[in-house]
Amino acid sequence: MKINFSKEWLIKRAALDEKHDVSAGTINLNRLRASSPATKAEPVQAFTEAESSNPAFGRLINLWRRKKGLRIDELAEKARIDVAELFEIERNSHYTPEPRTVFQLAKTFGLPQEKMLELSGNLMIRDSSLGQEAVRFAARSESVAKLSKDEQRALEEFVKFLSEK
Amino acid sequence: MSVTSLVHLKDRGAGRFVEANLIDGLTREDVEKADADWKPFLDEQIKRMESTGIPKHKWPQHRHWNWREKYDATEEYLAYRMFGIECQSQMQGLMLALTAGKNSQIASQRGRPLVYVHFLAAAPWNLASIVAEPRFSLVGSILVAAAIHLSIEEEFQGRIGLHSLPQSDDWYRKTCGMTDLGPDQTVENLRYFEMTPEQASEFLR
Repeated sequence: MKINFSKEWLIKRAALDEKHDVSAGTINLNRLRASSPATKAEPVQAFTEAESSNPAFGRLINLWRRKKGLRIDELAEKARIDVAELFEIERNSHYTPEPRTVFQLAKTFGLPQEKMLELSGNLMIRDSSLGQEAVRFAARSESVAKLSKDEQRALEEFVKFLSEK
Repeated sequence: MSVTSLVHLKDRGAGRFVEANLIDGLTREDVEKADADWKPFLDEQIKRMESTGIPKHKWPQHRHWNWREKYDATEEYLAYRMFGIECQSQMQGLMLALTAGKNSQIASQRGRPLVYVHFLAAAPWNLASIVAEPRFSLVGSILVAAAIHLSIEEEFQGRIGLHSLPQSDDWYRKTCGMTDLGPDQTVENLRYFEMTPEQASEFLR
């Protein structure tokens, strides 16, 4: 990621920063270890207290859509779902989509409907390995414009896992 | 793969701006060198503070951090990004950011994804709390700006969150204009701060 800083911004910020020490982060390294996907089943949620969050579903849809080269409005049209709801699914991990929407997306992408309902928060996740894989997948994937090889691999492995169970 | 951006730090002694590199994607060698440069300097300052009777609560709160350990714990995960600012052959600041699984706690943004700044630190010689004449300023601002740009790149609209060490609370609250969500009992009672898209835009202006 390349970043440009203007001269004016640097001058302004330098004046503001003069007398401050800057640091952030937990003192205990174990928190970082606890958050690493390979070392704990629910690593990412550890930071978000008791929120109900299903980051893997939105990530899965986002990556799959980009893999197919579709814009949000194009996928919404193809799956016959509301574009605003699709936008919300991809951006808000707390959003629980309507079951019909999940069915339509599963059908469009050829993914197992029941697993998609579980991932989306419409059904309780009964298989703990699905929960673990989902979190691992969410932590491995990044939301950039084009799928990297690693993201592509993460997506393929997760879809394979979904399809095999 | 590392990506380098040209930035400038302010050399406080000389009163002028000097060129530096903001590195996105540090290597293990970068991190090991930073630890090797920072630790002896920090140890020396801690000894001085101890011998001159400076109370422990004024010592740098991240004096035990080991960046190599952080690198090793996170290097295999795409969701972690490590940044550094290199100037005059030394690392002047480091930041570890997480791009997955963290959501906003602010009511207006609740549930929306953000970039979580897991760790951020300036080199010990840049800290006013331990040296009379810190060498460079702008380290913190540039790293926070990098976190915002990362958030924008991730389509998170500039939202970032972090747990501040107490010596920096005022900086995040007053100088960065972040929202102070108060002490987080789940994270060593550190204060949790967030930046909304509007605050991020203001910070970058």
